Amino acid sequence: MGQITISDLTKRFGDTTAVDGLDLEIRDGEFLVLVGPSGCGKSTTLRMIAGLETVTDGDIHIAGDHMNYRVPQNRNIAMVFQDYALYPHMTVRGNIGFGLESEPDYTASERAERVEEIAETLDIADLLDRKPGELSGGQQQRVALGRAIVRDPEVFLMDEPLSNLDAKLRAEMRTELQQLQDRFGVTTVYVTHNQTEAMTMGDRIAVMDDGELQQVGEPLELYHAPANRFVAGFIGEPMMNFVEGTIEDGRFVGRHIEYPFDDEMQSSVSHDTDVVLGVRPEDIELHQAPDGDGRLDDHEFGVAVSVVEPHGNQNVVHVSTASESDTGDLLQVVTDGTTLLESGTAVVASIDPDTVHVFDGETGDALHNRRRDTEEVLV
Amino acid sequence: MSQSTPDRTFDTASLVEDFNLRRLGQYVLIIFFIGFFLAPLETGLMTAFKTNEAVARSIPLAPPFGDQFTLDNLQFALQELSGAFFNSLFMAIPATIGSVLFGSMAAYGLTMVRWRYQMVMLVLFLVGIFVPYQAVLVPLARFWNNIFPLASMVAPIFETLPVLEGYHANLVPLMITHIAYGIPICTILFRSYYQSLPNSLVEAGKIDGASITKIYRRIVLPISKPMFGVVFIYQFTQIYNEFLFAFTLVTGADTLEAPVTLILPAIGASTSGIDFGIRMSASFLAAIPTLIIYIAFAEQFAKGLRTESG
Repeated sequence: MGQITISDLTKRFGDTTAVDGLDLEIRDGEFLVLVGPSGCGKSTTLRMIAGLETVTDGDIHIAGDHMNYRVPQNRNIAMVFQDYALYPHMTVRGNIGFGLESEPDYTASERAERVEEIAETLDIADLLDRKPGELSGGQQQRVALGRAIVRDPEVFLMDEPLSNLDAKLRAEMRTELQQLQDRFGVTTVYVTHNQTEAMTMGDRIAVMDDGELQQVGEPLELYHAPANRFVAGFIGEPMMNFVEGTIEDGRFVGRHIEYPFDDEMQSSVSHDTDVVLGVRPEDIELHQAPDGDGRLDDHEFGVAVSVVEPHGNQNVVHVSTASESDTGDLLQVVTDGTTLLESGTAVVASIDPDTVHVFDGETGDALHNRRRDTEEVLV
Repeated sequence: MSQSTPDRTFDTASLVEDFNLRRLGQYVLIIFFIGFFLAPLETGLMTAFKTNEAVARSIPLAPPFGDQFTLDNLQFALQELSGAFFNSLFMAIPATIGSVLFGSMAAYGLTMVRWRYQMVMLVLFLVGIFVPYQAVLVPLARFWNNIFPLASMVAPIFETLPVLEGYHANLVPLMITHIAYGIPICTILFRSYYQSLPNSLVEAGKIDGASITKIYRRIVLPISKPMFGVVFIYQFTQIYNEFLFAFTLVTGADTLEAPVTLILPAIGASTSGIDFGIRMSASFLAAIPTLIIYIAFAEQFAKGLRTESG
């Protein structure tokens, strides 16, 4: 029904290419999140699907129909804008009902009924006679959603709809949006630059950077098996640690650390190449430094705590090399919230080889991803 | 209970303390300018109610006392101007509505709808503002009199209508000229307002399935109400007070269709001299419609200025 096929989609504004040869298949009823930093072309892609932006090259099909030259109203889509774009002079009733006026199958009374029904669903029935200016941000957001679902479209397009809400409301609306989408089963394309929203909401995530698609996949797939350094760095909070270096004699040699590779890792990298080692902050363990001149294990390094950011449930610990001369941060480590650490303390960081990602130093492509055969399934 | 509180007593010393030359200078300047601007008004208003003899004998600024006071001037002026009032309003109101409405439409088309060559069109509108009136007077007169004599075309229709007379048809070319000349400036005023509106409103309308015209009618037009107030006041004042086009196209004060601005220079003037009482009365009467418009649209005007600057 509402399947979207995007093939070789390109958008150029003068000399700048906003979207470059995008291929994407969005399944019927799927919640796909388009995520990326600002200016990566995600909004442009969404606007091209909506028909608000013309396509320079490539094709868009919705439900099998070619869409490139169709005006927005003939695409059977609905869109929620970042600023909601509610009509300020109309009541909530007028705002929600406006789109229905263009639908030929509704009589005036059916229209009124449908508006009431949608307002009921969204819990805004008591606001129907107010104007948008009299509503709070969260209520306006609901009205904008109501305006989108009232026409029962095949595709929902959402352009950072939660970015104007405060953190608490955002979390609430996140859940609510997912429930709504589940209930209506409408194909949804959701644009955001917020990786938390992407991880928590999407059935699948498409990561874009610089107009190009980096990777599409389920959230955990992107988290554990990123296709390249960009995806690895973009997904996950705090960000994955990257250490640049080269491979020498089966060992990773960086500026501050050396890390021996096991056989499996060695087989995926060639000798003498520049690589980037990637480790998630939660995969690093900090131990107390052994007294005296205790020998460190192969996968351990002596480091010093530089900054501790307490988050309550966890601490984000920035550690730097133990040497006095260079105080730059080396790694970020997530530790248990109850572990107390003071800055300046010498500690040992240990990294399990199973958790290490290796990326190509030049292209950034993933050469080796962490082992995932230990996933547990909770029944 | 009888205790006196310090803030109740009047502190004479503070007056001296607050007194300084700079402040005094400011007040003197302000009072001077108030006098400078209000004195002519006061003079005019007082003269309007004075008999001829009183005008000659009393100080212009002084109010009329006793038998100096008369309403005859006002009555005479009203009588002389009544036809002209109708002519002016009959011409100015449709011309204002027309130019404001078309200006708003053009601004919408040039700002919120995307199409090719719209910059070229915008430049043409801008050029329209800078065409001097004097340069077009002769072509304009020739166009309306010889090439396209619209007035004589519509005159028979006007004769059959109630209230209107055949000669009112001569105002139609003037009306259209004012609409055409008003569109560029109205367009530019509306354009700056529309540029400040979020584009997503129009986009939301498009997604909701509204056509370009429906978006204008149902979304943009109602939102631009405050701006309509501003442009309407401005444009009405311009057209109502305009003299040059009226003089060229209607030709003279002696015609029946002459608007107020044509009658005004001639009123109260005769071979025996100028009757200042009548002239002043007529001037004040002539100013009343613009004053009414300002009062009627004051709220919109303030709102419009606020939104435009903000």
